[in-house]
Amino acid sequence: MKLRRIISIIIKEYTHIFRDWRSLLIIILMPVLMIILYGYAITLDMKNLTFAVIDDAKTPESRELIRGFTENRFFVLKYTDIKRNEIESLFKKRAVQMALVIPEDFSESLISNRITKVQLIVDAADSNIGTFINNYSNRVAQLFNEKLNRRSPGILGLEPRILYNPDMKSANFFVPGLVALILLLICSLLTSITITREKETGTLEQILVSPVHPIEIVVGKVVPYITLGFFNGIIIIVFARLLFKVPINGSLSLIAILSLIYIFVALSFGLMISAVAKTQQIAMLATLMATVLPTIMLSGFIFPIASMPLPLQYISKVVPATYFLIIIRGIMLKGIGLAELWQHAAALSGIGLFMLSIATIRFKTTLE
Amino acid sequence: METDKAVSVSKLSRHFGKFIAVDEISFEVNRGEIFGFLGANGAGKTTAIKMLCGLLKPTSGEATVAGFSINSETAKIKKNIGYMSQKFSLYDDLTVKENIEFYGGIYGLSREKISGKTDQLISELNLDKMKNSLTKSLPLGWKQRLALSTSLLHDPSIIFLDEPTGGVDPISRRNFWRIIYEIAGSGKTVFVTTHYMDEAEYCNRISIMHKGKIIELGTPTGLKQKYNKTTMQDIFIHIVGRN
Amino acid sequence: MRQIFYLVQKEFRQIFRDFSMVRILFVVPLIQIFILGNAITTDVKNIKIVFQDQDKTPYSREFINRFVHSKYFKITGFEEDYTRLSSYLDSGKASLAIVIPRHFQRDIVLQKKPDIQLLVDGVDGNSAGVSLGYITDIVQQYQERLIEYSPDLSLQVKNIRRVETEPRFWFNPNLESKLYIVPGIIALILLIITLFLTSMGIVREKEIGTLEQLMVTPIRSYQLVIGKIIPFSILGMLEIMISMGFVYLIFGIGVKGSLLLLLFESSIFIISTLGLGIFISTISDTQQQALFVAWFFMIFAILLSGFFIPIANMPPVIQHITRLNPLRYYIVILREIYLKGTTFKDLIPETLAMVTFSTCLFFAAVMRFRKKLG
Repeated sequence: MKLRRIISIIIKEYTHIFRDWRSLLIIILMPVLMIILYGYAITLDMKNLTFAVIDDAKTPESRELIRGFTENRFFVLKYTDIKRNEIESLFKKRAVQMALVIPEDFSESLISNRITKVQLIVDAADSNIGTFINNYSNRVAQLFNEKLNRRSPGILGLEPRILYNPDMKSANFFVPGLVALILLLICSLLTSITITREKETGTLEQILVSPVHPIEIVVGKVVPYITLGFFNGIIIIVFARLLFKVPINGSLSLIAILSLIYIFVALSFGLMISAVAKTQQIAMLATLMATVLPTIMLSGFIFPIASMPLPLQYISKVVPATYFLIIIRGIMLKGIGLAELWQHAAALSGIGLFMLSIATIRFKTTLE
Repeated sequence: METDKAVSVSKLSRHFGKFIAVDEISFEVNRGEIFGFLGANGAGKTTAIKMLCGLLKPTSGEATVAGFSINSETAKIKKNIGYMSQKFSLYDDLTVKENIEFYGGIYGLSREKISGKTDQLISELNLDKMKNSLTKSLPLGWKQRLALSTSLLHDPSIIFLDEPTGGVDPISRRNFWRIIYEIAGSGKTVFVTTHYMDEAEYCNRISIMHKGKIIELGTPTGLKQKYNKTTMQDIFIHIVGRN
Repeated sequence: MRQIFYLVQKEFRQIFRDFSMVRILFVVPLIQIFILGNAITTDVKNIKIVFQDQDKTPYSREFINRFVHSKYFKITGFEEDYTRLSSYLDSGKASLAIVIPRHFQRDIVLQKKPDIQLLVDGVDGNSAGVSLGYITDIVQQYQERLIEYSPDLSLQVKNIRRVETEPRFWFNPNLESKLYIVPGIIALILLIITLFLTSMGIVREKEIGTLEQLMVTPIRSYQLVIGKIIPFSILGMLEIMISMGFVYLIFGIGVKGSLLLLLFESSIFIISTLGLGIFISTISDTQQQALFVAWFFMIFAILLSGFFIPIANMPPVIQHITRLNPLRYYIVILREIYLKGTTFKDLIPETLAMVTFSTCLFFAAVMRFRKKLG
């Protein structure tokens, strides 16, 4: 390996990158746009749930209960005194999401019975809304009960302590994930496209007949994208700190080192694709299909792996982002180190080596 | 409007931004003539031919094709011309028969006429065995003859050929020109662009374009006499070099 | 009219000539429905718990038992050493630690209200919130049982009066997120297939030069556009039915409302995606550009459609932006018809919005197409 030759390839590649300013703009803008969108937008927490009331009791107590629902940020009262058979049509018009039905004997029952039930009819088409309505109404009922008994009705208490992300901010969850997504996308997509392009236009052969060693080419082509990927990672983390105050509890240098391993995996993946793909178009489609979909869906980026059916859980074990997400969230939010993370780092390296060897074998058979 | 001119062009220009691709050209093409358009790549041949076919609007100037104005009557022009471009323009993934059927349909031929024409073309081109195979499996020379035939399906009075023989071997080119002669012999006007100088010899009249302008126009023999050269090649180099 | 027939015929011949097209039509929905339908879930299941039982009495064991029998939790271990609990959370071996205090049973009986300590991994705030809700439910049921059956508790406790909510979950009684997510996937598939096929199909004709050839024929550009729209809408409708079939086979989810209404609304939506596809083809010169632009539009259409993220949870500015997204309306319509059997009367606003977008997009596409080629 001659350093001078590698450097000249690197310089050539940089010129390519900076000449195509449109792609460069997309590369730099995409992470920023995504941070803003994800940081602000993704929260599955519900507010302003609309509801209607059927108050058959019409007593001070029933009004008190209704007030319990309206006096918080979760519920907004839309209709009072509707008929029971109107509920369905209200749901279908999407006018309300829930109907509270207070029985006629509500106040009497409060005195004579230990438990008085009120019915909640919920439009649970969106199961998530259903869950939240259930949780919030439980809270409202509990507060009502405390007032009623002038003491907490429970016989045992819950003392939850939320670790790592005490305010349960969604930005803290998504931003590290974005680093994983963007690094993978840029490093694998750009590598696979650029090498396939050279293959397609015949310049790869041109270089191969020169005294340059294939490894020098690969190194030369890959270094610019490593820096680009790194640069993007830094943009994301800086933006995350400035806009959303996402903490970095662990060691920055550990993030950098383990990110390098992840980038290595992404590059190997890009190489593997370009070894197989004949045209840029195929390379692009294959990379997008094989990176975006699994990384967003199957890595725990948004949706918890543990809730998926078993076959998908197994697939998630070969998705590199699964491990990197644990690593980067662990370091940034939990402040843990190599002692807890070495297994994940090892798994990543294994996947990377595997893909690299496939790429090498394929390249050898196609070029020689 | 019946005239004896198939094409008549006066002061036709086309600008792309600041670049002047065609610069006030004027000429006329007679009925039944093989008219050649010569020029190096980028001389403005393709732009000129696209304007005449109604694919591009001129920046200024006027021209009539088959008696219709290219500024206002492009729809009528399109019914009366055939066009075959330097890009091969049949569908690779349709069979020979399907391609003929499709273009016949696009030109609004009746169903009976299409099937008649299809049989006729296929036997003329000796494509009987290939009629149900995909067009992409044909050799390039045959593809081009097929493309030419399909652009004649609707019996146009003028046919525009934009570098029709690009990338074809000499024998196929000769065969192709034989067909061009047949077409002209049947009374159609052939308007052809090329940068093969030997092909220019086959034309009745040629015009030489350079940097958007027509710098010479005449019969091949006439030009040879004028410049005292023996081949079109020499004439071309002489004139273009002079400019 | 006859010209359009020949255009459509040609398009179908090309589409079905290639086996890969048929493969795309069947394999794309199959994979997407299977993977997305299973992976996208707002349900939180298999929450890993580590317990520390400092009391070890019948009461504490009964409490733990409630978690053993819950489908939401998975107990990964018991830890004696309090200081080591957090290491379970650090390493991800558990995302929840529950500590039952010493004298748990005694304090309950004495009404001293013992506190159960929870350590929750809050990295995924949403899952953490949901698991807290589950725990609250379990604690409440546990209390209920104690009050009901335990002879140890005093009368005062047994006299507590309470209001309890009794939820009825309509349209989705078991609160499965699948029912809500899967109809949305059909919309995504339709968007992807029709958008990519049209935008790339037209650009391909541009690339190989046949589009130019067509332009010198007497055919009009609107005929050309219709000649593209008809086959691709038919393909889109076919795709809808294939997807619905897969949805039924894989998840057993059927349409509750009118199938006819669903197909009608789908056809309106298809016009808008085809319009967008034609529009993209007019601004792209190569298939690769078309692919990239289509991908860009698609990502933002999906993100801003309410498919993953409820629109009500977005910041107000972004909520307004989503109004410009036809996918948003189509997803609502699909979900309503699929889950609730909503009729046309209650879907008029969404339908009108889609009709508006489809008409605008379609005419914008035709205009640009003419300007570009005429």
